[in-house]
Amino acid sequence: MNRPDDKNLVERCLKGDRQAFEALLVRYEKPVYNAAYRMLHNPEDARDVTQTVFLKVYENLDQYDPSQRFFSWIYRIALNESINWLKKSSRQEALEHETADHGNGPEQQAGDAQLGEGVEAALMTIKSEYRAVIILKHVLGCSYIEISEALDIPEKKVKSRLYAARQLLQERLTQQGLH
Amino acid sequence: MAIDPKFVELINADIDGEISPADKQTLEALMADSPEAQAMQAELSGLNSSLNELPDLDPPVYLKHTIMASIPKTEAQQRRSNFLHSIFASPAFRYAAMFAAGAILTLNLVSSDQLSDRAFSDVTGLVGTMSSDVPDGPGIQSTRIDRPEVAGRVTLRSSGPLLIIDFDLVSSGPVDIVASYADQTVWFNGFAQLESPGASISAQSGIITMQIEGKRRYALFLHNAGDRNISINLRFMSDGEVVYDTDIQYAQPGQPG
Repeated sequence: MNRPDDKNLVERCLKGDRQAFEALLVRYEKPVYNAAYRMLHNPEDARDVTQTVFLKVYENLDQYDPSQRFFSWIYRIALNESINWLKKSSRQEALEHETADHGNGPEQQAGDAQLGEGVEAALMTIKSEYRAVIILKHVLGCSYIEISEALDIPEKKVKSRLYAARQLLQERLTQQGLH
Repeated sequence: MAIDPKFVELINADIDGEISPADKQTLEALMADSPEAQAMQAELSGLNSSLNELPDLDPPVYLKHTIMASIPKTEAQQRRSNFLHSIFASPAFRYAAMFAAGAILTLNLVSSDQLSDRAFSDVTGLVGTMSSDVPDGPGIQSTRIDRPEVAGRVTLRSSGPLLIIDFDLVSSGPVDIVASYADQTVWFNGFAQLESPGASISAQSGIITMQIEGKRRYALFLHNAGDRNISINLRFMSDGEVVYDTDIQYAQPGQPG
């Protein structure tokens, strides 16, 4: 997570250097796409959100506070955009219904692949604020303090959300006979 | 027996690798005497492993280009782009055409040395077949392009006597695409553009040249009345240099290409 040259790239971007922006894009395209995909569970939506995120980053680079880590800033934008996307498309409720029906049959309850699918499905059944901490921790590999920065919430709250999210996931998987 | 919330926090912190040495000692003391805490730690460890093993997904290859094409250009880049555009619209490219935004248009524009005595098929109804997700299958050949200058997918398929080449591409700057084929019984039948304006095209016997910039979806129609096997060479050029070169083949059903 230690990327000392992000700030240098940002400075160059602010001077109109498109190559510097492309370097940031190459570095963060995949994590931003994965974060959006795990929030939305739809590749087309994840693609569109990723595009929106980078356009917002480009347009608002002058508002980036260099005392923050750049990745915390871009991940925050990515998660907020994903949550806004869910709100706009009213997909959250649909996702919860859609995914809650998956994997209930006893014949589907064995094997690592099914567990992986079960975890993916269970992830979509919890509130987006819980999903966001899980994504930051397990998909993007952030520490508590980095999650705190990305979500702009105290570290204590990060921990409580993370534990609550895990507990909910555990319950969902148990309901599905996967844990 | 319920586990003290303080120990729940310690178990989570331990699993996350964020526990202090002193807290680790406290936790170990608890774990030794608490089957419930041991069970909880085992469950959470399993869950965390599953979460950590969620597959890492690759974004679409064209996404980077789409984003770069979307951000505003510097003045110098804009001037360069306009210059190339004006060259392409010059009389030297007398068969070039520009198409209107948002509309789906078909083009019946070809050089007279090839087609003056031939009627065109109506390709209007085929425009809707353009798709970014054409499935692979019999009679369909698809190639993916992932170069810094241009990325996306080109798909060749047939519909009756027509060969349809779908282009779904994004380029970071102006890119010329030259499609050439040796079979003189096959002729250029039209061009259709979807979603965005700005592609230019010229056609001569056996050679079709297009220029794109940014995100473009369009289709090229060739008339293959004899249902002959055909190989089409596609060359993608940026700043006069070939950045990608490939051949796509059509083979009659049941025959090798």
